[in-house]
Amino acid sequence: MREDSSYLIKYTSSGLYCELADAWIDPIKPVKRALITHAHMDHFTFGCDEYISTYETASIIKERIGKEINIKTYDYEKEFKINGIKISFHPSGHILGSSQIKFNLAEEIWLITGDFKRQKDETCKEYEIVKTDYLISESTFGLPIFKWDEPQKTATDITKWVNSSQDKISILFCYSLGKAQRILNEISKTNFINNIYTHSSIYRMNNCYKKLGIDIIETKKLEQTKNNSDLKGSLIILPPSLNKNSSLKNFKDSQTGFASGWMSIRALRKRSGYDKGFSISDHADWIAILKTIKESKAKNVFFHHGDSEALNKYLKEKNSINVLEFEFKK
Amino acid sequence: MSLKKFSELFINLDSCNSTNKKIGILQNYFSSNEALENSWTIYLLTGKNNKRFISGRSLKTLFSEIYKYPLWLIDSCYLKVGDSAEVISLLLRNVITEKNTKYKDGSLHELLNKSFPELSILKEDDKKLRVKEIWETIPKENLLVINKILTGTFRVGVSIGLITKSIAKLINIDEAIISHRLMGDFIPSEESYKLLIDKKINPSELNYKPYPFLLANTFEKKIIDKSTNDFQFEWKWDGIRIQLIKRSGKVSIWTRGQDLVNKSFPELVEKISSIKDDFVIDGELLVWDFKQSLPLNFSLLQKRINRKAPSRSIQKNLPIIFIAYDILEINGEDQRDSNLEIRRNSLEKHLYNWLNESKEELSNIFRISDLIYPKNWEEVETFKNNSRDNGTEGLVIKNKKSIYTPGRKKGLWWKYKVDPMQLDAVLIYAKGGSGIRAGLYTDYSFALWKDGELIKFASAYSGLNNTEIKELDRWIRQNTIDRFGPVRSVRPEMVFEISFENIQISKRHKSGIAVRFPRITKWRKDKLIKDADTLENAEKLMLNK
Repeated sequence: MREDSSYLIKYTSSGLYCELADAWIDPIKPVKRALITHAHMDHFTFGCDEYISTYETASIIKERIGKEINIKTYDYEKEFKINGIKISFHPSGHILGSSQIKFNLAEEIWLITGDFKRQKDETCKEYEIVKTDYLISESTFGLPIFKWDEPQKTATDITKWVNSSQDKISILFCYSLGKAQRILNEISKTNFINNIYTHSSIYRMNNCYKKLGIDIIETKKLEQTKNNSDLKGSLIILPPSLNKNSSLKNFKDSQTGFASGWMSIRALRKRSGYDKGFSISDHADWIAILKTIKESKAKNVFFHHGDSEALNKYLKEKNSINVLEFEFKK
Repeated sequence: MSLKKFSELFINLDSCNSTNKKIGILQNYFSSNEALENSWTIYLLTGKNNKRFISGRSLKTLFSEIYKYPLWLIDSCYLKVGDSAEVISLLLRNVITEKNTKYKDGSLHELLNKSFPELSILKEDDKKLRVKEIWETIPKENLLVINKILTGTFRVGVSIGLITKSIAKLINIDEAIISHRLMGDFIPSEESYKLLIDKKINPSELNYKPYPFLLANTFEKKIIDKSTNDFQFEWKWDGIRIQLIKRSGKVSIWTRGQDLVNKSFPELVEKISSIKDDFVIDGELLVWDFKQSLPLNFSLLQKRINRKAPSRSIQKNLPIIFIAYDILEINGEDQRDSNLEIRRNSLEKHLYNWLNESKEELSNIFRISDLIYPKNWEEVETFKNNSRDNGTEGLVIKNKKSIYTPGRKKGLWWKYKVDPMQLDAVLIYAKGGSGIRAGLYTDYSFALWKDGELIKFASAYSGLNNTEIKELDRWIRQNTIDRFGPVRSVRPEMVFEISFENIQISKRHKSGIAVRFPRITKWRKDKLIKDADTLENAEKLMLNK
């Protein structure tokens, strides 16, 4: 095995780092040059000198933070060079604009999956299988208990949940970027008959998606002063940060739900305090992670993001791939 | 289509937080289902004697062997999920492909009466095949329920009270009747369900059944506005509450948990059988130290309950007594609508007669709860604070005008417990929780100082709120020194105030002491570990109590 320091990509206190390109990937501290996989805020840090991402990711980030930043964009597949290293973005299927990042130096290829999923999602480009030597994969849901239902099934469940409680306000919590748009897309294909209201943060993201050419059904922007009785029977989509917020007290006779991959576990569902949990995720489940590793033809794999203990051990026992761990010194 | 229906019932109840809605769901279910299936449903929902056909461990092993799945991986999953039945249900979705299977809907009766009981007589290999067949022919939405029934862990957020309400509403009959019918044994059959929903009340039908217990509320300050003369005061014993029933000459001893425990206490059955009257008496069972005239540790009582057909020597070494609180029925006449004063008089009168008429042994085992007469509420306080002197845990205060009604109704009885004992102890081990606390370190062990060393003295898992649990979980992960299976030993740094009801010498523990009902009452972030209590302090508590 090589020393960590000789790897093309290594792990530092600011996040994944490619020394030769002097670029960090989704850094967690301000750095000189940041390659951004997607526009979720836990993958973005203010104060970097230079950002590089796909066009869609850049557009969403600018919309979210509401100001200009020094961000350079490249289309998917389009190769660019930093210090002689060939770099390109490839769809990761997580949300609109999300990408895997491929590094190529002297015919050694490294691929960082970023957050990814293999399920169908009409609001973003499908995951692209990229061949690599070294794979750095996310492992948010790295246990075989995670196996996603078809999104249409979950959407049908949501529709049933709303339709069968016409005397109530149904409040669904989910992430405002990506998940909300995906759910809107999926429920528009079910026999959903009610009004949909979205929180301003989600409403804004819907518009941003539309500007980028994605079809999102029309929703009403939730106004603070909305009369309670008008909302009966409708679906309100809010970001999870608003759960237990005092403004929710205005919604009398409501039922709450949470849409997340974690909701496939009963204990987490019960602990979450929501009435109902809908299991739907924009990450890869166990089978999808294993399939992705196989299809990438990688000989070496690292896991990053999430608990990878089980995956590491499982793959080591299978002995079909070299499982590596970053040695990281604080 | 009934297993499917039951599975839907579980899912609906499980994701419903409103009591009224739950009653609606249950009513709907019962009215649209067959009697036999309903009886099994009640059996499962009331959780009376849910039998374990396969242990959680065996279920995991079976799955591992059938599908060549590493056991360690199943265990890793368990840490996240906290329920063997659920882990296996989730994993089954990875190994069963829908195309290959022919689904069939079974009935609860068939499963619980035939398929599952048969498993226990099968040899390992046949058992594997049978379980595999069950898993692969049942629609996947029902797997969780099936596995929970298999492992005897079927539970859903529905109380017996709620079931009682739903059935009472369904047939429009008094809840008390349904509640009484549901007491004691409930053997699932078409007949038993039909009896349960019969509008006609047959006086003899309830012959062997205990009455629903009247339970005490926690003491409320507002009652001190009234005179102490309005109340009856008794000691609160730490035994098991039971109903002693003698009807048509036959004795039955029912616990509050609705177990029939005649077999554990043959000496009581024998003595009671000699009494000439029939009766139902509410009271407490204790293991008694006759020399000191004090109750013995609750764990010894547990030992007696668990021992069916105890030998003479056990009966001699762990002698029991029954303390009568209340009389509910005498010679077939229900006394529960008389007020407490009248019932108490009746109890005293009858007991006096029985003791007089019997040979003297009856007075050894059959006693009456002594009344206490505090003159004012200050004296009540004093009595309560001294209750440990006679081995009780406080007072029970009863409204003299109260009738005996089921459950924890307001304004009838109160329990006024002595303040708990407390020690500040250091967190040394943590273990992953199960059930709703899966994936979090929530089972904690605490230690006290002895000669500069921390000695484990108690384990506790309740008392912290959700925010604290999460915070402590994070701290535990960051401060783990060592791991033994699911247990982590952590840097001794955190001090907690531990409260408990009683403290006793114990040879089984390294610390030499055992505490009862330990729980966390405060996270003492203000304290350093050197400020934690010593074992010596614990021993002092034991002497002073």
